[in-house]
Amino acid sequence: MTMSTVSGFDEVELGDELPTDTPDVSMKQVTSFCHSAKHLFERFTDHDAARKEGFPGAIVPGIMSQGLLAAMIHKWAPGCTIKSIDTVFRGSLIVDSTITMTGAVTDTDDDNKTVELDLTIVAEDGRTGVIGTALVEFLN
Amino acid sequence: MLLDLHTHSVQSDDGRAKVENYCKWIRKKELPLDGFVLTEHRQFDSESDYRHLEDEYGLVILKASEVESDFGHVLVFGVTDELQATLDFTDVRLPLEHVLYQSHQAGAFAAPCHPGRKRVGLFSHYEQKGQVDGVHTVEVLNGGSIPGEDDLSLKMAAKYKYKGFGGSDSHVVSRIGYCATDFPEQKIYNMDDLVNALEGGSFHAVSLRPTQSD
Repeated sequence: MTMSTVSGFDEVELGDELPTDTPDVSMKQVTSFCHSAKHLFERFTDHDAARKEGFPGAIVPGIMSQGLLAAMIHKWAPGCTIKSIDTVFRGSLIVDSTITMTGAVTDTDDDNKTVELDLTIVAEDGRTGVIGTALVEFLN
Repeated sequence: MLLDLHTHSVQSDDGRAKVENYCKWIRKKELPLDGFVLTEHRQFDSESDYRHLEDEYGLVILKASEVESDFGHVLVFGVTDELQATLDFTDVRLPLEHVLYQSHQAGAFAAPCHPGRKRVGLFSHYEQKGQVDGVHTVEVLNGGSIPGEDDLSLKMAAKYKYKGFGGSDSHVVSRIGYCATDFPEQKIYNMDDLVNALEGGSFHAVSLRPTQSD
């Protein structure tokens, strides 16, 4: 079942899916992020420069992908605490393309009120660019 | 029996799925799988024992390997000590003919996976280097494929008269069962059973990918 938002552990079940999200990874947004994070490399902010490095175009920084996934989790469960988040970068996510983030509850721990999540980001061509997991704790 | 022949757990460097969570997911989602095969990258996990999970969840859990060759990635079912002594599983450029021959000699079953994929798939290498003798079966449906890749795998498998199986290639829990292999009217409870069933050739690939209506 897909739940738009959850406010507590009791509302979460194994198998639940987080609402899919298609975050803005336009050049404007990515460049703004790179300035904010002091993570300025041309492969993130210049399509031509990225192609010279062998990429199909400018790529979304890994730390931005992880931040977007964290934002998706908080959008789903505003009151939760992300105890850990772990990502694997399997392929490039291209700036100015459409990317789709998904999440799913893969385990729950009643004693600690924590849940484990699967996380993925799928690139415009259907390739899974990022996979990951997160451990999320609820206060209530 | 319906088995997912291609999955990865946290034992693989890029895998993030716990084996028990696979089991919980299969049961919670009522997936039609009877079991799955863990095919860890460039290694054979001889240590892990999942019999307690098989008993608890009523699933068959088998262990195999995904090795890397000069013609792309290859799944090896029925890995033995003898095979591990003759093949360096960590070598990312194993000659495919060597993998096929040594696997056969050791009583194992080797078959290229995601053959329609660029760089790591068999058929992209065929375009440049020609056909390899000894290939008889390939993974025609792979859960990680992008549109067009499985179509190419099916088309080329038909051209070369290869048998086809399916696997999800899941690296996270929620992707298990996207593709699988149906072995009609056969009982597979251990790796010997699986190797015999693959050798027998009576199986077909199945896609169970979620659709918009799911």
